Amino acid sequence: MRYAISDVPIIKRMLRSRWLQWSLTALTLLFFVLAIIAGLVGTPAGNRNFGIVFVWIVWWALLILLLLPFAGRLWCGVCPIPAPGEWLQRRALVQPRPGGKLYTLGKQWPRALRNIWLQNVGFLGVALFSTVILTTPLATALVLLGFMIVAIGTSLVFERRTFCRYLCPVGGFIGLYSQIAPIELRVKDTAICAGHTEKTCYTGSDEGYGCPWLVFPGGLTNNMSCGLCTECLKTCTRDNIALFVRQPGADLLKTTGHKLDEAYKGLIMLACAFIYSTVLIGPWGVLKETARAVGTPGWFAYAGIFLALNLAILPGLFWLAVRGGQWISQPAQTTMRKLFSDYAATLVPLGLTAWIAFSLSFVLVNFSYAWSVLSDPLGWGWNLLGTVGLKWTPYIPGLIPYLQVPVLLIGLTAAIALALRTARQHGQTPWAAAPVTVFCTAATLGLLGLYLA
Amino acid sequence: MKHVRSRIKEELFALGVVLVVLVAFPAGIFGYQAWRTASAGVKIVEIVARAPEQGGFSPDRLSLRVGETVRLRISSPDVVHGLTIPGLGVNVNDIYPGKVVEVDVTPDKPGRYAFACTRWCSVDHWRMRGVIEVTGGSPPVIATTEPPLFQQLGIDLDAMPHEAHATPNATPSISVGAALNVALPQDLTDPATRRTLAPAGAFDNLRADPANAALSDADVWNLVAWAWMKDVSPTALARAATLYARDCAACHGPDGKGKGPAGLNLPGMQKMDPAMPSGPADFTDPAHMLAASDVLLQGKLLRGGMGTGMPEFGSLYTDEEQWAMIAYLRTFLFAK
Ligand code: SF4
Ligand code: SF4
Repeated sequence: MRYAISDVPIIKRMLRSRWLQWSLTALTLLFFVLAIIAGLVGTPAGNRNFGIVFVWIVWWALLILLLLPFAGRLWCGVCPIPAPGEWLQRRALVQPRPGGKLYTLGKQWPRALRNIWLQNVGFLGVALFSTVILTTPLATALVLLGFMIVAIGTSLVFERRTFCRYLCPVGGFIGLYSQIAPIELRVKDTAICAGHTEKTCYTGSDEGYGCPWLVFPGGLTNNMSCGLCTECLKTCTRDNIALFVRQPGADLLKTTGHKLDEAYKGLIMLACAFIYSTVLIGPWGVLKETARAVGTPGWFAYAGIFLALNLAILPGLFWLAVRGGQWISQPAQTTMRKLFSDYAATLVPLGLTAWIAFSLSFVLVNFSYAWSVLSDPLGWGWNLLGTVGLKWTPYIPGLIPYLQVPVLLIGLTAAIALALRTARQHGQTPWAAAPVTVFCTAATLGLLGLYLA
Repeated sequence: MKHVRSRIKEELFALGVVLVVLVAFPAGIFGYQAWRTASAGVKIVEIVARAPEQGGFSPDRLSLRVGETVRLRISSPDVVHGLTIPGLGVNVNDIYPGKVVEVDVTPDKPGRYAFACTRWCSVDHWRMRGVIEVTGGSPPVIATTEPPLFQQLGIDLDAMPHEAHATPNATPSISVGAALNVALPQDLTDPATRRTLAPAGAFDNLRADPANAALSDADVWNLVAWAWMKDVSPTALARAATLYARDCAACHGPDGKGKGPAGLNLPGMQKMDPAMPSGPADFTDPAHMLAASDVLLQGKLLRGGMGTGMPEFGSLYTDEEQWAMIAYLRTFLFAK
């Protein structure tokens, strides 16, 4: 049930060309530069600043509503943040140096950190201040600039795209949700790899670099750690790698062998979707103000609750649900830790649909700011395209709930199906999935309550 | 060899693109803005008006030069605000969120000009202020303006006994006072001295004057009302009414009774100091208001409430507006 779209000749030529991915990255870098300039010297009014409107409304809409659900990590392939560091590391922009040589200290990332825990921490850090970052152009600019500086530093010291793989706070959740995408990059025939001793997809060749994301493409079974950089499509000398269209969510069907850091990522994303929905679009203005008043006692209370919900309360409830399932049906030789991590696969569709529903509510309402900001990106009174006068108009505000409800229900259905599947794969009775099902249903109902209130 | 050459060519092209993105593009942005400003002939200053809890005006301090025209581009990201710069003749009433309002100012005298929001944008609205410092031009005039009367007279705004022992039984009437046709003593006809007197004190003096023995107490009060209001023009009162609605009504109430919505929850001032007022002054309370001279009221208007939460609105008003406002406060007790 897969189709190799990269075998279509024209698509193959595009993906093999070194210019496609490069020019898209140069374009996103241009937007990135504009966002930073706008944040540093443009108007402090967020809704008139390119940095805020294009990063947190346009890019976010693109990422959550289109790229993530339909193309997985595609964004990572064209992301501007690691680009300068990568260019420095390669001492080349488009065409590789012979043999795909890299100039870096080439240190290996510490083994203990080869997981997404740091990304979880980074994401929580940004999320905790998001009420400020999302509305303050200067803060947005500094955060973006900070990402890029860390990315450059990392690429000079560590091998390849260590930053993307282990540090980028955005990369963590993009990876998690890319498992849902209906596309995947995989080898066509593992037997061919087995016979190919050079493994140029990992080591690099004159055509390109060894996998920047530090994965061996031949062993890929999951979208999470492939950044869709298309490098291996160029370096595989046996034409054994392809981009496939596949059944959505295929990565999740294997519901064993998941890891605790990923489980936590899923829980954190769900908790954050909840907190944002409550704070940003809920009817409680005081909450929003408290979340913005960084440094006040009220904010510390908010921060405490925020972290507790993310790290203890929601994971605790989920743990209880999984424990309940275990009590109903004790699987042979499966530890709680394993069960917890595997059942957390249910949180992937649940969390992504929660984020889609949440994003729909503010993206459609605020998208119209993009037109005037395009004409006057810094809020300096320009009118480049003549669109500055276009008024703020919420798009289809009345329809938003009708989109949110089915989206959340799709997520819930997929979550329940995954819970049942997990129970089966662990040799539990289907009833063991009941507590996790209750957890997912409660989360969905809670979100529905917030959106429909 | 050919391969190497084409590689170098492609790399140079890509380098050109990167330089455009990282250098030429930012330079273009600043260049375009510089060209726009130069061709517009004015300097543009961006002011963002936010509710005071979110930072108020930013910037809230501006430095301008005499004779230099500056275009203020004011915008609000939250609620409707307004902007008044009395000293520079700027009055913008509606700054709607997401819209930009532009006003040009060309200060012609050096000095400090206060500016403030004119819309009740939040409970803390009165905090929303800023200052424009204008320098240059003729050497700054050494302040020749006299200090306000309350300072000249050494009146302690807080220590002043402030309860009248005699108060009218009925509302004193200005027109009835005028119709009495009584010659007023010098200290009531001369505005400069009258302002230093409290109406209750004026009542005592008139009552003690044997020439007025035939008048009833009520008529003596009518006389006081007339003495206070006879020189006040209707235009001045109308102006004061506008200012009152804008600046005072939220706390003191449109009816002057001190029960405006924004004044109801003044932060436990009495807890800090039992002598503090329990809320905004009630302008309809005769014992309180008739014991206060105009000079004292001007002092309070200029200085603000010092901890009672009242801002120094006087600094936003011209002299005429200050006296008009004080006369307007008298209308809460003196009928036409
Ligand atoms: S280069 Fe191609 S054939 Fe060789 S190991 Fe990598 S994917 Fe397999
Ligand atoms: S697997 Fe291929 S496409 Fe994915 S990150 Fe590695 S090199 Fe890039």
